[in-house]
Amino acid sequence: MLRSLLALRQIAQRTISTASRRQFENKVPEKQKLFQEDNGIPVHLKGGIADALLYRATMILTVGGTAYSMYQLAVASFPKKQG
Amino acid sequence: MTHQTHSYHMVNPSPWPLTGALSAFLMTSGLIMWFHFNSLILLALSLLTNTLTMYQWWRDIVRESTFQGHHTPTVQKGLRYGMILFILSEALFFMGFFWAFYHSSLAPTPELGGSWPPTGIHPLNPLEVPLLNTSVLLASGVSITWAHHSLMEGNRKHTLQALLITIMLGLYFTLLQASEYYETSFTISDGIYGSTFFVATGFHGLHVIIGSTFLIVCFMRQLTFHFTSNHHFGFEAAAWYWHFVDVVWLFLYISIYWWGS
Repeated sequence: MLRSLLALRQIAQRTISTASRRQFENKVPEKQKLFQEDNGIPVHLKGGIADALLYRATMILTVGGTAYSMYQLAVASFPKKQG
Repeated sequence: MTHQTHSYHMVNPSPWPLTGALSAFLMTSGLIMWFHFNSLILLALSLLTNTLTMYQWWRDIVRESTFQGHHTPTVQKGLRYGMILFILSEALFFMGFFWAFYHSSLAPTPELGGSWPPTGIHPLNPLEVPLLNTSVLLASGVSITWAHHSLMEGNRKHTLQALLITIMLGLYFTLLQASEYYETSFTISDGIYGSTFFVATGFHGLHVIIGSTFLIVCFMRQLTFHFTSNHHFGFEAAAWYWHFVDVVWLFLYISIYWWGS
């Protein structure tokens, strides 16, 4: 109850200012609706398909990179003898 | 549907601490591969994955606060403590380098010619670009305060203008300092003078770049109506960090540039 009151207050305070240019529309209410949807999706994936792709890419690069560094460690641990 | 009966934020499980830790590991391994085996691939990968982690982690925090409303006053208090403690830890980090500088400069060894600056070192003139740099950062402290007051008064246009001025001044400082680095007659490997000068001012410059980035993020968030006149902790954190960077410069200027010449 308290949380929805706080959110409501913030929405009221975020109305588009009448002065200045119309270049930017206030899209925060739309975002609030999207991210408050009760669909059980965690916040890091809740924005849509782009979130999932970026997550996948990050995970593949970090885990893959770790595997590669382990490989390099193995190579470095057994130096080739010279001559 | 169950509701929590406390005002704290129980975050969703997140993959970013793991990817962040792995990217840090890649960074250290990457440095080893670069230093010892002349290979840059791991280091490049580490910088990319670190950036991806930071972007997504902070993006999620914006979602949790601005879009989901999880940042109650209690949560904000915790964030304030956190930012203050972080800045304190950074202050201690810089104190180490100032210790090193004073250790070597207060009692210059015979190898240096028994003087500070050491024999053969021609320091930069503190009344030229370094003084300009000082005025640039001081002015940026004024403009960011103007931005904050404008934000608190609900003046969108002035907030954006003042933030932009602050960012421009930060960028100007970075460019000036980069050109100074090019102009010095000494390098990092020129004895203890070179080491203390470039490590201390170098880390400061890195913090200016980090602070400028934080300010740019705040600018974009202000453009997209994220901040309200009484809830804008991200901006306040950026402002605190920026003032800290300014203060470190003042210590650098007085100690290394002025007294140290």
